[in-house]
Amino acid sequence: MLNKTAFSSIGKRQPRSEDYRLLTGRGRYIDDIDISGALHACFVRSPYAHARILSIDGADAEDLPGVVGVFTGNDLSQWTTKLRMAPPIEGVKPLEMTTLPIDKVLFHGDLVACIVAEDRYLAEDAMELVDIDYEPLPPITDMFKALEDDSFLIDETLGTNLISQQSFATPDVHRIMSNGDKVIESTFSEHRQTHLPIETRGIIAQWDAGCEHLTVHVGNQATHPYRSALAARLRISESQLTVISPDVGGGFGQKIALYREELTVAALARYLNQPVRWREDRMENLMAASHAREDWVRTRTVVEADGRLKAMSLEIVEDFGGYCFYPANYLARVIAMILSGPYKLQHYAYDVKVVLTNKCGNGPMRAPMAITSWIMDGTIDNIARELGMDPVEVRRINMIREDEFPYQMATGETLEDINPFETMEKGLALIGYEKLRKQQKADQEQGIYRGIGICNVVESTTYGSKFYKSAGIPGSGHEAAWVRVEPSGAIIASVGISATGQGYETAFAQTVAEGLGVNAEDVSVQLGNTDVAPYGMGSRGARGGTAGGGTAYLAGQDAQKKVLAIAAKMLGLNTDEQLSMKGGKVWRRLDEDWSDTKLTLADVARIAYLDPTNLPQGMEPGIQIHKTYDPPSMTYSNSTHFCQVVVDVKTGAVCIERYLIVENCGTVINPLIVEGQQHGATIMGLSGTLFEQVIYDENGQNLTGSLADYLIPTATEVPDLEIVHMNTANKRTPAGIKGMAEGGVMGAIGALSNSVSDALLPFGIVIDKHPISPNVLRTLLREKE
Amino acid sequence: MSGGNLIVMEKRPITLHINGCDIDVLIEPRKLLSDVIREDARLTGTHVGCEHGVCGACTILIDGRPQRSCLTFAIQAQGKTLSTIEGVVGEDGGYTALQQAMHEEHGLQCGFCTPGIIVTFEAYLKNNPDPTEDEIRDVLSGNLCRCTGYQNIIRAIKKAAAMIRVDVGGA
Repeated sequence: MLNKTAFSSIGKRQPRSEDYRLLTGRGRYIDDIDISGALHACFVRSPYAHARILSIDGADAEDLPGVVGVFTGNDLSQWTTKLRMAPPIEGVKPLEMTTLPIDKVLFHGDLVACIVAEDRYLAEDAMELVDIDYEPLPPITDMFKALEDDSFLIDETLGTNLISQQSFATPDVHRIMSNGDKVIESTFSEHRQTHLPIETRGIIAQWDAGCEHLTVHVGNQATHPYRSALAARLRISESQLTVISPDVGGGFGQKIALYREELTVAALARYLNQPVRWREDRMENLMAASHAREDWVRTRTVVEADGRLKAMSLEIVEDFGGYCFYPANYLARVIAMILSGPYKLQHYAYDVKVVLTNKCGNGPMRAPMAITSWIMDGTIDNIARELGMDPVEVRRINMIREDEFPYQMATGETLEDINPFETMEKGLALIGYEKLRKQQKADQEQGIYRGIGICNVVESTTYGSKFYKSAGIPGSGHEAAWVRVEPSGAIIASVGISATGQGYETAFAQTVAEGLGVNAEDVSVQLGNTDVAPYGMGSRGARGGTAGGGTAYLAGQDAQKKVLAIAAKMLGLNTDEQLSMKGGKVWRRLDEDWSDTKLTLADVARIAYLDPTNLPQGMEPGIQIHKTYDPPSMTYSNSTHFCQVVVDVKTGAVCIERYLIVENCGTVINPLIVEGQQHGATIMGLSGTLFEQVIYDENGQNLTGSLADYLIPTATEVPDLEIVHMNTANKRTPAGIKGMAEGGVMGAIGALSNSVSDALLPFGIVIDKHPISPNVLRTLLREKE
Repeated sequence: MSGGNLIVMEKRPITLHINGCDIDVLIEPRKLLSDVIREDARLTGTHVGCEHGVCGACTILIDGRPQRSCLTFAIQAQGKTLSTIEGVVGEDGGYTALQQAMHEEHGLQCGFCTPGIIVTFEAYLKNNPDPTEDEIRDVLSGNLCRCTGYQNIIRAIKKAAAMIRVDVGGA
């Protein structure tokens, strides 16, 4: 029996095909790739946060045996173009940067020179011998001071440190805000963090002088856009460049942009006509790869007496660091556009400012819009406190209900196919909310401060081209895939998305298999090589499922169509309408029953390639499908996070007693992988809220250059997560896939912060900044004692 | 110039005993064991994540005990018995119980920290076949993982322990 409606491969809890090589030490990460004769690069970095480079003398270093050369910004400017970041976005100022700094360094750890030597140890020896004269300049380490009129400028050509500003207001919002109702103000701020993939960055570049072709191995999430950027900066054609991203030890958003170190290594490989490789060390990764977050946010809200939102305004100020590897509005503006999430709000205004400072440049880190849900649900908690209402009641009264979807947000974005009210109510029932509140009260009398934090997440998962356009972000949201059935019936597929641990090889095999009607284990998925994969937009946001898996599914379906057309001819049928593929075989419907025709994919493939005169009239030989797909403007997943904590008011320690997530992430391709992504995202959110912090002192010195200083949790600090699924399909996407993998961060930040505020309500303490370390909590508590 | 007195070190021949094989290498005395294992012995399953002894990705067994190979000079490892991820092989050349459980429970994502975890727990479970969850968490705290949030790794280690106990009990 063959059921045509239910999925057979999609939804299967299938352990990953990637695992074997990774579990047995046979993975192939950048530094595992042996390239004979490769030279090693290392970088001399600035000890100052802000300084003019007066001179660089590399002569002594070059005298060291084994050192090939010391290269500066002036050298690199001969072989590479500048990066001009000047997207046509209102309010974003154009910025230029050279491949290596020439006149000025902009943060502690900024690049000054590149040394190339026969091995890495020698290259590092030579670093000590490079003599650099600097003229230190005043460091700007505070974004609010950077905005003052008399601030020193990061980039003199701009005339300001305000690199980007966008505002928006619905027609009546200011009138409603100023008609005398009490305005409830809430503030939120995230501290600076960094991605910390366990594999640092790295690259190997090989120039083939005969073919005039450059091959780079680099851990990268979006190999085709990377190739476009690298080719342009080297002034070569995209056809002269192959980018290969092999196994990658984590990305989390850090491995998207073309970094200056990588461009330098690629240019030097070509100039020296010898392979050059670079492996970043951990200190460089913490100080100078890419940072994220660091923002200050204020909401101002007016509400009805019953807690209903009347109007809201949002201000965001984000510290972007010294360099823009992305348009400066790239991260913060999305927060403003989707802020209201699951709540009804029609009168809304925002103002988003992005500021340059003397810190490492910011980039997207798993959930670049992570703070969104904390801002919204934290604001709702403040409204509840102000009105003396239960925070759940304020959520209920404002929440968009089932019959109100599709719902158009004040910013024009449309929400559909989500169920926030249902996930919240389900979670409330599961945690026994009413009973828990009573217990909380009783415990308080015993000096036990328990808190319940709730955070409703509407996660923007798949960004279609239309959303990018309306958000003023250059780029496409499309994805591309191909599926080939070879003459033997072997199936190979590729998608323009590179993996950094998400299990795409397994998940995409499942969607191809679903589309084509074969077993997933018979589909070989080849990713991360620009010569093999079609031009797609890579792995970012939570687009892997919908854009990657979805496009692969569509390509699989097209392949099945061709297979069935050939099969119909082979079976002597006039039409393929009653045929279908399952398990790699052709099935035929007679009345209500499906029967096996005994024709296999291999039989059909043989005809397609080796006996094309027997193909249906006019059909091209072979089975090779190429498909591109642009998802809807935006797909959304939703979830409700519940965090239950006990705060030890004597020590400031936060203990997470229970953590529950009720999730709707649409059609699940592989529950095992999805759960793993939700774990990882949620723990990353909890970790950022409790532990992680990039610290710069007042001189702009980075104090967190080791893993003893920049803390992420170990197995002893993390809670177990309970996940309950209430998935509903997206009606517009292939197979109903929505995507997930960032919402966990969003929910964790909000649920944990709100739970600690809830626990400390008797002290009048509201958490409005992170990390919520024992030190910070004790300081807050001391002020109240 | 202060650097004028830098001395290039002479390379020395040493023999390392890794995964049951003697491997002869010619190395500078300052070269880290992790680098020698990866670059000279070409056993690249041992990963280098921090080079300062925190992340645990480079963990190998030295005389049966899990140690950071990035905190040891190769020259100090002469005469010792070294064991890396490449030496972790199940009966009939397949997965060990721990590898099998990690696979089934999705205890790895990017896989970069995985060899350090496998090596640590292959040794640990041999001597502690029935660990509590707290004990597992405590031992696992020497290995940083940025992808999984640890939950599935812990689940896998528990499962592996149970599989090993059944195996031993049945033998």
